[in-house]
Amino acid sequence: MSLEGFGQIAEQLRRSTVQVTGGRHGQGSGIIVKSNGVIVTNAHVVSDARLSVQLWDGSTFPATLSARNARRDLAVLKISTINLTPATLANSDNLRVGELVIAVGNPLGFIGAVTSGIVHAIGRRPGLGPTKWIQAEVQLAPGNSGGPLADARGNVVGVNSMAVQGLGLAVPSNAVTRLLMGDLQDAPLGVTVRPVAVRAEGSQRLGLAILEVAKGSAAEYASLKVGDILLGIEGRPLNSLDDFEQALEGGGERLLRLQFARYDLSKLRNVTVRLGASRVTVV
Amino acid sequence: MQSSMVNLSNELARFVEEFQTDVVAVHARTHYPSSGVLWRPGIIVTADHTVRQEEDIQVTLSSGETVNATLAGRDSGTDIALLKVESGTSSIARAGEGQSPKVGELALVLGRSPDSGPNASLGIVSAVSGPWRTWRGGRLDQYIRLDATLFPNSSGGAVVDCRGRLLGIATSGLSRIAGLVIPASSVNQVVGALLAKGHVPRGYLGIGVQPVAIPEALRTRLALSNQSGVMVVSAEPGGPADQGGVLLGDIVVSLGPATLEGIEDIQSFSDSAVIGKPVTAKIIRAGALQEVTIMVGERQGR
Repeated sequence: MSLEGFGQIAEQLRRSTVQVTGGRHGQGSGIIVKSNGVIVTNAHVVSDARLSVQLWDGSTFPATLSARNARRDLAVLKISTINLTPATLANSDNLRVGELVIAVGNPLGFIGAVTSGIVHAIGRRPGLGPTKWIQAEVQLAPGNSGGPLADARGNVVGVNSMAVQGLGLAVPSNAVTRLLMGDLQDAPLGVTVRPVAVRAEGSQRLGLAILEVAKGSAAEYASLKVGDILLGIEGRPLNSLDDFEQALEGGGERLLRLQFARYDLSKLRNVTVRLGASRVTVV
Repeated sequence: MQSSMVNLSNELARFVEEFQTDVVAVHARTHYPSSGVLWRPGIIVTADHTVRQEEDIQVTLSSGETVNATLAGRDSGTDIALLKVESGTSSIARAGEGQSPKVGELALVLGRSPDSGPNASLGIVSAVSGPWRTWRGGRLDQYIRLDATLFPNSSGGAVVDCRGRLLGIATSGLSRIAGLVIPASSVNQVVGALLAKGHVPRGYLGIGVQPVAIPEALRTRLALSNQSGVMVVSAEPGGPADQGGVLLGDIVVSLGPATLEGIEDIQSFSDSAVIGKPVTAKIIRAGALQEVTIMVGERQGR
């Protein structure tokens, strides 16, 4: 019997894995997702500092930040080159617990180091909010952040993000796919909210009290004010903060109808916000 | 191209899917829940050391539903606790009893977390040997050590081998250095005893003993193979040994077929099926070998 293991897959993945330098946390990894220089990494790997990307062959390029989603810890970088070897993104919804996975990255300065294990669990993690993580039994070190977690076929199922209690946590690749489609942009509504229990029409329901409205944001254009309480999206009541965040993610430029109350909790008001069109362009 | 790694990956995921419906999360302590296995319809087996409360126990089933459970019995010696639930049917009764795993074979530890659903840890079987006594005093049919990582909620989960057989229950409570498997055959025995009595019956002699060396001259004179024996340092008045005529200062060298050289030997004897049966004890009294007959009783309590 011969078991070549992940040799071939690892070699292929290393060519699609880059080293990202210039973030607050020094160095991390990144994944080439398009041959014309589009790279995905963790948001926590990149800051506003000057960014550079080193390919597996040692060539280095300056990089620009083209999208970022801090809540999902993802960022998209662009470098000016062509003919790169992109990784294939898998549909992470099809990933199953128990599947073999392999992580590639640049931990502690080793370029293209590889670790492997199985998917331990898929889902929420106590203390890390409502978002879904791929929790893999792979050894990750700080420089792994932003690098690929791939399945036994070598397709990328996640972006390695952190190590918690011996497990490697990765952002599912479908979040990457959505971010690349122009979805998942940060704070398109521009409000800071806090969940509150609201008693209206005799029953208790979840409301989101607006604590802040960002200048020039979609929320400000729609005349939402601090103190307003969001109660529904497209006519549906909110069940969790996650509902709200999910409704805001995705879709690119579009209109969204929100239901809210102002002063009078028994009176439901409607407002239409225009998402994805509120970014100010500086010429 | 369907590589061997893809096949292995699919196979592992298939075992997880197949077994996870019978793996539950057990809420019987603060902080972390543990795992448990639906061993028979309505009967959940978990690791006893993860059950820190006897009431208000709940389990989260594979459906996501959390239901109340009652503690039906526990045996700290083998680290097995039994919970009963109203709902929840079991399909797992396919334990690999009598089949021994080989060292080096792959094994999966399957648990459940209320947050993320089923979880799995992969490792190999790192040691296998015969019957042994745990530091908690129970006896298990096999010593099976894993090198898989046991996470805080892994104990009580199912251990499945690379042929898809249920090897037993995972526990981190029986060894400081590694996760062990409570073998399926031992689980079956203990489940039977716990369902019948609520505890595992152990034999009772009613004596306190101290191991002592037997002088060479005495051994030769009495033609004994024992290097040592156990001296009776207390005897419960009216207890089985007292009624059989055992006196303080007697050195017991054998009980029935079992040679006694230390405390472990007397413990091994007391959990075999001896309750209510007469046993012949060989003792050294006043420098001479004698035989007394003791009617073995049952230890009270757990």
